[in-house]
Amino acid sequence: MKKKICSVLVFLVILSMGAYAQKTTITVFDYIDATAPGYAENEAIWQKFIDENPDITLVKEELSNEPFHQKLAAYVAAGTLPDVIYMYPSGRSTALHEQKLVKDLAPLLGKDFLSNFIPSVTDPSGQKGKYLAELPQSITYTTVMFTNTKLLSDLGLKVPSTYAELKAMAPKLKAKGIRPVLMANKDDWVMQSCLFSTIVGRMLGDEWIDNALAGKVKFTDKDFVKALEFVQTMYKDGVIGRDTIQISYGEAPALFAEGKAAFFIDGDWRQNAFLTDASSGKALIDPKLQQTDFGFYNFPAIPGEKNPGVASAVLGCGYGISASIPAGSDKEKAAVRLLKYLYSADVQRQYLELGRYITSRKDVKSDKLEPFTMKMVQYHDSVPKTCYVLDGALDTSIYTPLNLGLQQIGLGTKTPEEVAQSIQAAVDAWRAAHK
Amino acid sequence: MNGTATKLEKDRRAYWAMVLPSFLIYLFVFGFPIVLAIVLSLSNYSGGKMFGGTPWRITGFQQYLRLFTDPYFWNALKNNIYIVLISVFGQLPLGFVFAYLIYRKTVRFEAFWQGVLYVPAMISTIVVGILWSIIFSPYGPIADTANHYYADTYSAKISGIVQATGGLSNPDALTDQIIKASPKTIHTVFSDPAVDLKDFLLSYDPSDTATLEKDIVNLLAPRWNADFLSKNNIAMIPICFVTLWMWVGTYLLIFLANMQKIDRSIIEAAQIDGASETQIMGRVVLPSLSKVIANSAILCISGSLSGFALILAMTGGGPARVTQVLSIYMYDKAFMGAPDYPLANAIAIMIVLFSLLLVALMFALERRFGGKE
Repeated sequence: MKKKICSVLVFLVILSMGAYAQKTTITVFDYIDATAPGYAENEAIWQKFIDENPDITLVKEELSNEPFHQKLAAYVAAGTLPDVIYMYPSGRSTALHEQKLVKDLAPLLGKDFLSNFIPSVTDPSGQKGKYLAELPQSITYTTVMFTNTKLLSDLGLKVPSTYAELKAMAPKLKAKGIRPVLMANKDDWVMQSCLFSTIVGRMLGDEWIDNALAGKVKFTDKDFVKALEFVQTMYKDGVIGRDTIQISYGEAPALFAEGKAAFFIDGDWRQNAFLTDASSGKALIDPKLQQTDFGFYNFPAIPGEKNPGVASAVLGCGYGISASIPAGSDKEKAAVRLLKYLYSADVQRQYLELGRYITSRKDVKSDKLEPFTMKMVQYHDSVPKTCYVLDGALDTSIYTPLNLGLQQIGLGTKTPEEVAQSIQAAVDAWRAAHK
Repeated sequence: MNGTATKLEKDRRAYWAMVLPSFLIYLFVFGFPIVLAIVLSLSNYSGGKMFGGTPWRITGFQQYLRLFTDPYFWNALKNNIYIVLISVFGQLPLGFVFAYLIYRKTVRFEAFWQGVLYVPAMISTIVVGILWSIIFSPYGPIADTANHYYADTYSAKISGIVQATGGLSNPDALTDQIIKASPKTIHTVFSDPAVDLKDFLLSYDPSDTATLEKDIVNLLAPRWNADFLSKNNIAMIPICFVTLWMWVGTYLLIFLANMQKIDRSIIEAAQIDGASETQIMGRVVLPSLSKVIANSAILCISGSLSGFALILAMTGGGPARVTQVLSIYMYDKAFMGAPDYPLANAIAIMIVLFSLLLVALMFALERRFGGKE
């Protein structure tokens, strides 16, 4: 009897060892804010993959905002990149693209699979490395004017169509203790990414930026300085308060939801912060009020703009696969399986319903969207033409002094001319290094 | 003779057998990173695999030249010097004085004070940083209190003006008086206050002066933006204050522990000779602790130069780098924006060199002016 039991035990141990040996472990570095609404639902989406794929072990690490980028930079520096990485099409993920640290997804995912997505996201020319390093989950509009329309109508005001109208309503709003425009300018990328890119797109256009990088025009030219001066004007006019430079990215949505500002300028992804968190049932802005009291609008017409209605947009973020995984290996197959799951119609529909983004997958529809998500889709449709998001179009060494300079203009410690000079100096250095 | 030589040889072998493992571990753990940092600071390494990746080579002192011509390096160094100064000339003297007061039982409830002063050092640095950044924020209690005071004072003025001028029944006088009573910022609200403010006032119901007064206060009352963490010349003051608040207790404990080792009979002899408390502190206790003070100063200096978490949590080195110190500047170059590992390593080496310079200076001062225990 004892012998039989021993034999069974040995058999089970060998079987379990065999099962263990067949398991493939993939490490994932994901971008998500654990405090944002929809976190529990997101975890459930990942758990479903784990449950459905017992032969794959997922080791997942999650961070958001600056800590994410800094940890990713540390992974790149140490040469220990995780197997699946959430990444940008350029900007903060430039190193992944330029050093070819991630694989080309086009052959891995296949034409049939990619045909489910809008063509612009599968076009490799939109990505820094000019290959499909990540599959953009969306097209990201980085300038959205979240507007408290109820607050405006209570004061007899209308959504402004020109900057002059916006400026004129500032005293009326301030008299009621409401700031006109709220931005979270403590993080230096916000002004550049969420407003200045649109200003440059309106006043100069993408061609001007291309010419500047080619050395045909300079950032110290009058045209660009005028764009910087417009930012200075907004601060001087009190349309944007100088104290916004002390408002962190995390605290701004709550201030807007509390009615402390008539307008909140941020990217389209920020609508997610106001939606209902299914686990707690709470929303920063109640869905009923989302429907009746708020709207999403384009920034009003800027004096001297050449391209009316243009708003900045860039390919969205997505997942990439580390180039260090051997081609054809089980690990590569597991990573591809994970990506196909994450980009499946079902998962993309869930992300749409959670308000994470407006998916780039063509076959996704839902009737469970909260008003803010539906309004964001309408906003996307209302923008006649898009322009560069500067941190996607410029090298990091160039947009770093730009980001810094926009804060310095806000603080009043540098003039637009001085900021333009520092950007041009960075361009000259970049051009010299890339000759 | 041979026997002695053999014994010496054996001793030497035994010595190396015991020392070598530790020495090798030391070299690997401390020596290797330092040498690697020096090598990288002299190279054009751009990340990725060190061997087999993008080729890199030694490029000389280019990074150091870049550093010396970068105004943000000097700004970070200047901020670090402020922190070193507040640490050495703030934390140490205060820690010493508080320790002395407790040691000499000049204050009652010694254990309580000791605990109260040490508590900040026990709290996580990140928590301390976030806590104080909230206190100093534009919505924090300091700004709130100040702005309530400004608003109340201005509100009283406006009420007086409305009553004196008869309110909107005399809009010209009302406009004129409000302009006179308002701060210069009125010109950022109205490009032509005499015209625009009058128009603004006339949009109100003449009978509803309460709403009018309230709105005028919201719009024009002097307002303090609590911008002390964003102004170039003063942003380091709150950070220095928090640094002082956080670490005084640590030096208090170090000094108190060492004061308790001083032979009581020396102090009693000084008292019998008629020495005052100040004289006992300056001529007996202080010289006895000179080496401890020097060692504490080294702790202070190294802590101040490598200090990172507190400023990262309070301001992140911003806005526009006004509160950036060398360690954050280094982190910024290594992990934020465009990674520049050679420059980041050059900054690290500069931090080490600067620390060594200050520590050498401290030793020289201790040798010249220090007492003998």
